[in-house]
Amino acid sequence: MKIKFRIRRYNPHDSKAPEPYYQAYTVDVTEGMTVLEALLKISEEQDSTLSFRKSCRSAICGSCAMTVNGFARLTCNLQVLPEHSKMGEMTIEPLANHRPVKDLVVDMTPFWNKMEKVSPFLMPTEKTAQNAVTAEDEEVIDQSQRCIMCACCNAECNSLEIDERFTAPAALAKAWRFVGDVREGHGVKRLARLSEEHGMWDCVRCIHCTQYCPKGVAPLKQIERLRSAAMKAGILDNPGAKHVEAMADSVEKFGRLDEAAMTFKTLGFLKSLGKIPLGIRMELHGKMPHPYIVPQIERIEEVREIYKEIEKTAALKEKKKE
Amino acid sequence: MVGAGLAGMRAAIEAARSGLDVAIVSKIYPVRSHSVAAQGGINAAMKATDSWEAHMFDTVKGSDYLGDQDAIEVMCRQAPSDILELEKMGAVFSRDSEGNIAQRPFGGAGYPRTCYLADRTGHGMLHVMYEQLLKHGVFIYDEWHVLKLVVEDGSARGLIAIELDTGKLHRLHSKSVIIATGGYGRVYRTTTNALSSTGDGMGLALDAGLALMDMEFVQFHPTVLARTGILMTEGARGEGGFLLNSKGERFMEKYAPKVKELASRDVVSRAEQTEIEEGRGVDGCVLLDLRHLGAEKIKSKLSQIRALAIDFAGVDPVTSPVPVKPGHHYSMGGIATDKDGRTAIPGLFTAGESACVSVHGANRLGGNSLLETIVFGRRAGTSASEYCKTTEAKPFPESALKDACHSVATILKREEGESIFAIKKGMNDAMEDFCGIFRNKDRLAKGYEKIKELRERYKKAALVDRSDYFNNELLHYLELGQMLDISECILLGAMNREESRGSHFRTDFPKRDDEKWLKHTLAFKENGEFRLDYRDVSVTKFKPEERKY
Ligand SMILES: Cc1cc2nc3c(=O)[nH]c(=O)nc-3n(C[C@H](O)[C@H](O)[C@H](O)COP(=O)(O)OP(=O)(O)OC[C@H]3O[C@@H](n4cnc5c(N)ncnc54)[C@H](O)[C@@H]3O)c2cc1C
Ligand code: SF4
Ligand code: SF4
Ligand code: FES
Repeated sequence: MKIKFRIRRYNPHDSKAPEPYYQAYTVDVTEGMTVLEALLKISEEQDSTLSFRKSCRSAICGSCAMTVNGFARLTCNLQVLPEHSKMGEMTIEPLANHRPVKDLVVDMTPFWNKMEKVSPFLMPTEKTAQNAVTAEDEEVIDQSQRCIMCACCNAECNSLEIDERFTAPAALAKAWRFVGDVREGHGVKRLARLSEEHGMWDCVRCIHCTQYCPKGVAPLKQIERLRSAAMKAGILDNPGAKHVEAMADSVEKFGRLDEAAMTFKTLGFLKSLGKIPLGIRMELHGKMPHPYIVPQIERIEEVREIYKEIEKTAALKEKKKE
Repeated sequence: MVGAGLAGMRAAIEAARSGLDVAIVSKIYPVRSHSVAAQGGINAAMKATDSWEAHMFDTVKGSDYLGDQDAIEVMCRQAPSDILELEKMGAVFSRDSEGNIAQRPFGGAGYPRTCYLADRTGHGMLHVMYEQLLKHGVFIYDEWHVLKLVVEDGSARGLIAIELDTGKLHRLHSKSVIIATGGYGRVYRTTTNALSSTGDGMGLALDAGLALMDMEFVQFHPTVLARTGILMTEGARGEGGFLLNSKGERFMEKYAPKVKELASRDVVSRAEQTEIEEGRGVDGCVLLDLRHLGAEKIKSKLSQIRALAIDFAGVDPVTSPVPVKPGHHYSMGGIATDKDGRTAIPGLFTAGESACVSVHGANRLGGNSLLETIVFGRRAGTSASEYCKTTEAKPFPESALKDACHSVATILKREEGESIFAIKKGMNDAMEDFCGIFRNKDRLAKGYEKIKELRERYKKAALVDRSDYFNNELLHYLELGQMLDISECILLGAMNREESRGSHFRTDFPKRDDEKWLKHTLAFKENGEFRLDYRDVSVTKFKPEERKY
């Protein structure tokens, strides 16, 4: 079947056409052919100036991620025919949230730098090095170990889009790989660093990373694991953790979220003033419960019972550990 | 370091640990290297009921007695400590119910001694090695393509590489260079290897005056997907998978009554090819049947295999058998080296699939190649750092960079000529059709003529992309040149070797001939032509005997 591919071309060094443009190629697509195979066919038979990255062609090296019909995908395990019949087109562009270098190739330097920033290697102490990894321990870090560093998650991350310094999902998932490892000796230090600005608390939980990850890493889940580990470790002196604390507080007191009070707790009084315009806007939209008269829900006792229960089991677990 | 696969990174880490200033040059970012695709596992005698001697015997027998026994002994003795070292670095291996590192049976092995991380062993290992590379502060030149090893007055001076991002050529001046550029799978049409597995280092070594050893020994893996060449790990049979022909028979019972599907790879591949050629295949394939393992085992232990079968063959192994056939998988041959990674040129070292130590001889056992990368990668790192500490830096020849720039410019300037892709296709067809599983004098001679002709055409080929910015086509041109040289070495070695041994099967000489051929082939390139020589095999513990499975 003949299918038209629209490919974003870009070569800033081409004096005749330094700006990006779209070029169409028609490819004779056979059953089972992947997008990467189609690109290879184009470069071998029609236009060898087309640049893109590729290597394993079996979804394990992470080279070939691109934007296909608007979404970050690995191109080597994506079949053309089903994709085309679902989307009605074949538009290939470089990954979003990354600077295009040439055609479908993007600058991965910021991606690798983010990885390096989380010290992506095991740092055991003499004592923790002795801990053997059981099957259950492995389970905890298994998802985070599956990452192939393809950057699909970062390409679709909403927080990264507005803050290029955000550590972003791939590196955060990698960070959990070590924090969650029973042999790691500096977990708390890591958590403290990850709790700083641009760190784990800057994720807005849009869940795109988990949705677009081709390897089931579920970065958001690893971020949540990091967050609860940080809270457990008592690393609370940051807006993110305070926000969660406030949330828990509010639920315990009123059985529901008191968003205005939470903003105060999270950011402190002065900072919270800066947030008032947003509050007013929310008010206008009828989205904000009145800040001073927060009604308790009925049967608040039940909610408090739940909290007590949680604390009891937690205390029990601690005792068992000792 | 040239190459950032398992062997290259392991060597770099060892050299960095000894206090040297190390840089690693790789044409793709380290975690993209093809070691990442290794699935099944890595061998080591870890248990009290196993022994390094048993591992050694299986390896020697698997090699059809062509492996050098002194080197095999080193590998098998050191395997367990290198595995533990990997764990220390952070690797996580799958565990058995007692909490020990789990081990699965693999082809050609008399004991279940293959350690694994589900079916993603290479991925797990490569990422750990990359982590350690960062930890040790090794400088990474990624997407730099090495195009020349610089040797002057008989010793290494460094190398010349092209930076993909700018098209600039750079000289990297060093006391020593370790080559770990992996295999040459892309010489063949159907291969399990990555698009980047083009054997560059072997070609570079030939140009530097080094010999390639045992190139005629090419491994064909019995279970690859037909159209794409994607591998279904031997672990699938290790976990209990069957091979069936069109009549539904487990045909391996005929060819290897004792171990059936778990005979060594050359044996199983030939059996499959025979079934297919005698009309008992299914559309040019046989069937890999995993259904009886049950959904749970397939999903937990072979989950990647399942995903690959679904994505690339449209078949779910839980409910249907997967059509597979033999396909190129591994390069037993490579740059001739000793067990410390040294080559004939002082300052040049090599390890991994680009090297030939030889521990695999005429046929490699599954799980021994990952092992080779970490044992001999480490050893090459040690040798290179010893060399650096005892040698003065010598000057980098002035003309080397100019000459390299000149030859690249010549290629880019050529206005008219054939496309390199037609030449590459010609090479793939010739090697697959004339130098595959079953070989004979006529087929090999045809292949040889064809490659000769393609080499002439290559000299006149021209590029469409003349720019110097991220020019993929230029790199493919350079890779093709190396692959044509490698093809010629494979064919020459195969034509000359008038016997059948391991993966090299001659229908006109179907027997092994120890008297004449218990020796390694060496191929040299001199003034653009190839010359063969031979070298003795190290036989220490195990005298050659007939190989039966
Ligand atoms: C699909 C598959 C599955 C496998 N499964 C197993 C298994 O289960 N067990 C086992 O023991 N073995 C297995 N093998 C074999 C094993 O994985 C390889 O032999 C081994 O990983 C090779 O490692 P390496 O470090 O030598 O090379 P590679 O990992 O291939 O690395 C080569 C490096 O060289 C670099 N390079 C190449 N050319 C240049 C150049 N011109 N300039 C700069 N850099 C260059 C590349 O960028 C890359 O970094 C498998 C192989 C395949 C293909
Ligand atoms: S959930 Fe968080 S980390 Fe994931 S994509 Fe959204 S903002 Fe980014
Ligand atoms: S987490 Fe998933 S999407 Fe993100 S880099 Fe890793 S494999 Fe790719
Ligand atoms: S080419 Fe390796 S992941 Fe697609």
